[in-house]
Amino acid sequence: MSAALVQRVRSPRALGWTAGWVVAILLPSVLSEGQESTATFVVIGAIGAVGLGVLTGYAGQISLGHAFFLGVGAYTGAVLGANHHWNAIFWIPAAGLVAALCGLIIAPTALRLRGLYLAIVTIGVLFIGQDIFLNSSSWTGGPEGREFPIVHFSSSLDFAYGNTLNIGGYTIDHNGLYYYLGLIILAISLLFVWNLSRTRMGRAMQAVRERELAASVMGIDLARTKIAAFVVSSFFAGICGALYGSFLSFAQPGDWDLTLSIQYLAAIIIGGMGTVMGPVLGAFVVFGLADVIKTLSFVSQNGSGGISPNDFSSMVYGVLIIGFLVVEPRGLMGLGARFTSRPRRRGGGATLDPRREGRQFAPD
Amino acid sequence: MNRHHLRQVAAVLATAATMVALAACGTSSHSSSATARTSTGFLVGPGVDAATKTITIGNIGAITGPAGPLGIPALAGAKVAVDEINATGGIDGWKLKILFRDAAYVPQQQVQAYDAINGQIAVLQSFGSPTTLAIQPQFDAAKLLTFPLSWDSAWDKDPLLAPVGTPYALDIANGLHYLITVKHLGTKIGIVYQNDEYGADGLRGLEAASKIDGIKVVAKATYAVGDTDMTAQAEAMKSAGAQIVVVTALPSTAGPLVGTAASLGYTPTYLFQGPSFVEQLVTATGAFGATATPIAGALSKDTYVMSFVTPWGNNVPGMREMLRWQKRFAPTQIPSIYFAWAYAQTKVLADVLRKAIESKNLSRAGIDAARLNVGTVYTGGLTPPVAYRPTLGPPSTGSIINRVDSKVQGFLDPVATNIKSPVDSTLG
Amino acid sequence: MTKFWQLAFEGFSLGCVYALIALGFTVIYRSSAVINFAQGSMLLIAAYLISWLTVNEGVPFFVSMLISIAMLAAAAVGFQAAVLRRVRRMLEQPIFTVVMITIGLSITLTAAVDAIWGPQQRLLGDPWGSSAVHAAGVVFNWDKLWAIIFVAVIVAGFYAFDRYSRYGLATRATAADEEAALAVGIPVMRIHALAWGVAGSLAVVAGLFLAGFPNSPNPALGNSALLAFPAIILGGLESPLGAVVGGIVIGLVQLLTQGYEPGWLGNNFYEVAPYVVMIIVLLIRPYGLFGARPVERL
Repeated sequence: MSAALVQRVRSPRALGWTAGWVVAILLPSVLSEGQESTATFVVIGAIGAVGLGVLTGYAGQISLGHAFFLGVGAYTGAVLGANHHWNAIFWIPAAGLVAALCGLIIAPTALRLRGLYLAIVTIGVLFIGQDIFLNSSSWTGGPEGREFPIVHFSSSLDFAYGNTLNIGGYTIDHNGLYYYLGLIILAISLLFVWNLSRTRMGRAMQAVRERELAASVMGIDLARTKIAAFVVSSFFAGICGALYGSFLSFAQPGDWDLTLSIQYLAAIIIGGMGTVMGPVLGAFVVFGLADVIKTLSFVSQNGSGGISPNDFSSMVYGVLIIGFLVVEPRGLMGLGARFTSRPRRRGGGATLDPRREGRQFAPD
Repeated sequence: MNRHHLRQVAAVLATAATMVALAACGTSSHSSSATARTSTGFLVGPGVDAATKTITIGNIGAITGPAGPLGIPALAGAKVAVDEINATGGIDGWKLKILFRDAAYVPQQQVQAYDAINGQIAVLQSFGSPTTLAIQPQFDAAKLLTFPLSWDSAWDKDPLLAPVGTPYALDIANGLHYLITVKHLGTKIGIVYQNDEYGADGLRGLEAASKIDGIKVVAKATYAVGDTDMTAQAEAMKSAGAQIVVVTALPSTAGPLVGTAASLGYTPTYLFQGPSFVEQLVTATGAFGATATPIAGALSKDTYVMSFVTPWGNNVPGMREMLRWQKRFAPTQIPSIYFAWAYAQTKVLADVLRKAIESKNLSRAGIDAARLNVGTVYTGGLTPPVAYRPTLGPPSTGSIINRVDSKVQGFLDPVATNIKSPVDSTLG
Repeated sequence: MTKFWQLAFEGFSLGCVYALIALGFTVIYRSSAVINFAQGSMLLIAAYLISWLTVNEGVPFFVSMLISIAMLAAAAVGFQAAVLRRVRRMLEQPIFTVVMITIGLSITLTAAVDAIWGPQQRLLGDPWGSSAVHAAGVVFNWDKLWAIIFVAVIVAGFYAFDRYSRYGLATRATAADEEAALAVGIPVMRIHALAWGVAGSLAVVAGLFLAGFPNSPNPALGNSALLAFPAIILGGLESPLGAVVGGIVIGLVQLLTQGYEPGWLGNNFYEVAPYVVMIIVLLIRPYGLFGARPVERL
């Protein structure tokens, strides 16, 4: 082991990473069944958020169409896993590939658009996609919705309800199995994005985000870079969607809606744009916090008297988003950067500037 | 090899090791419902406290979100039924308790709520079709008897689901048969339906009814939840000359449809699927005598509403009893068919529990078995008779048809009860 | 043909309401380059506020409308001053962070409406109800006629204000170049606050007519603002004229496809027709019909 590596392991950042993973691995053993299912939704959501982080966080292309790609992944998984009885080891990656293909087809439409124009056009993609889902009964079940396959690797590794896995006296149930599968895929996704941000393509993406015109003058192929970001992002969305559908077991076309897209965007903004771990932290806030708030002791669960737990948690959640972003517009990772003396985000750099991104349509 | 590579290799190795470990150990099936035998000889499962003689009923509903207007009275109805049973000494001394969670009609929240309460309940009431479908594999695996507060074609095919009422599709077929062959209100039928699984049930009913002599389906129009303008749908019905318009919608759309059609000078006979109607369509607060809505007039002309429960204030023993307890435990409750439905369902649920207590078996399997041994349950005329059979199929095949009348409590006037049609009764 | 004119009238009236919502978006975008995702929840809260004042408190309808306009304008200005101004002061302000803040506002307001008034639909309490004028076989509901009249007056007033008042000039100057505007002594912050106030007032009128006959104040109203998105894109984000034209076009497209959509397009194609039109327009003109192509310098 080189001295540099030892140094690295001792650094607060590496310690943080290690501690984070240890906590994530041990977490299910201290959670109740209900909290465990929330934790699983968080981990699965984090995979999709990491994907959106590439497109929006790194390449600066704002997308509100993420839920569409989740849907594509989920239905791919359903068709291959349930209708054609593929093994999960094949239908999970296939879901990512088909979603990536959709990203490849849609991306060229987005090349000419920037900033909030792109954001709204992706809403259009989302609604048109929903209409296609609604009218494709053979694979989506149409308006009535359809069931999704349970992850099944082999007869001895089957995630069906009621099945458990015993490792050295430690029992993992249905929710736990999904949690750990999600965690493994999340780890691979993070590794991929962490590497991507250091490649030529990753740096090209960041250059496009910072200043498109400057990037193109420097010789970066804008079209290629943006398309790559779309493809990577939709690949992870597809995987995330396949797992989400499988864990949820039933969904209707209407479930892949703008609210879902907004949750993913919220996750990466709250976590911190242009960072590797930001989307994961954001996913915890977006997919986990509402549930945590609801279980606070002073919130009445039985619906009698006072404010309902759902309304209360939505209001607190909304106010927290506002309050937090006013205090730290760069998200949780920005907050972290404030408390460490280390230079800020090595891969990140400056975030979007309104005068360049939003207002570029005004004649200078 | 630099440190980046080392790290990657480590991660990949860790991943591979985990996969291998998972595969090597293998999953095994086990029963999650732990049962135990008490000193009094009772076999008890989760949600049953033998020491305090308390049985916990899970209730995952929707008191917020788009289905809130239906979910709020439904929860109130279930609570009154439980309060009534406890006030009259419980079931052979056993008290009931409701453990409620609000899932706002969102499948993901339904799953989270189910996981949170699964271990603490003996039996479950679940509101909504897409939401109940999302937890179906789980309560099936946990052998947990579930009473769905909704109707879906899938309900009567699952041995662990105990619906109360008649399938939506059968309801529509029964209603059409009645309006066409008994009331002779016309044979040209149109349908406006919501573009989801609930709307599809309306379509299925129409299809089943197409065997009725002389019936002609002249127009079909659909809409999506949240649509604000119903002009095109009303125009479609009008230009096709539909005499009876089947409406499988939610009240926030059914109202605008009837209002728009009326202002276009088109007033057919309407046949509303139960959930299309809510009392607030007639008056501001839904209470009798409150300010009338702009569409109250059009709605009172010729609108029939199918329901599984007899209208509010109808003079049958079950309704009289319900109103007596409602005045005591929920005095501010306005007339609501959802309140009555949930009340009736909870009474049926209590009958099942009574049977399970008689056989001293309050394990999940025992409660499920009790459902089949309970025989035909007459809810005092509150709903058509309910009978669960091992061969599955709908527990009731009759429907209640009501006419909207702004001059009666609850705005529904029963026209006929327990009407049936000669269509396939396995239709769900 | 009657059917066509009927649908065209309804579409035009609905389009006028979309135009108001779109104008609300444009006003804020022009001043601060932010799309206000809370516009939908603002009109939702406005509809409930009018309903509550009129039906429960017995306030005359037009008075409750004016009270609601005052309250929403004040609340919007307050939000801009208390929250957004702080964000804007920071260097390197990420554009989508501000949009996310408006999404947070939208989540809070929607939940607040549910918590305060419950999920049930309500009575609006408007004086015109279902009354209508019949002409040439077409039914003109007063609610929809008033929507057109109100929108015409508001758009005319907005144009006059924008064109001839000092504030209008200052707003346009700020929209064109904020730093230059600051340099010549324009109170830019006051201009931003003004934009939010105007957007709040527009939301009240839009909410009022969306909730009118045959609809009612109900929680789904907030989603209607989503259909104003294609409208603003169609017109170009920064152009008030574009917002109005875009709104009316989208209203007409929606209603006419609803009435005449061919079966092979599947069910409910009209739901997405506005978005299809939007995407086609953008493929031809990436900055909308009335938007200017930016001049960029390195």
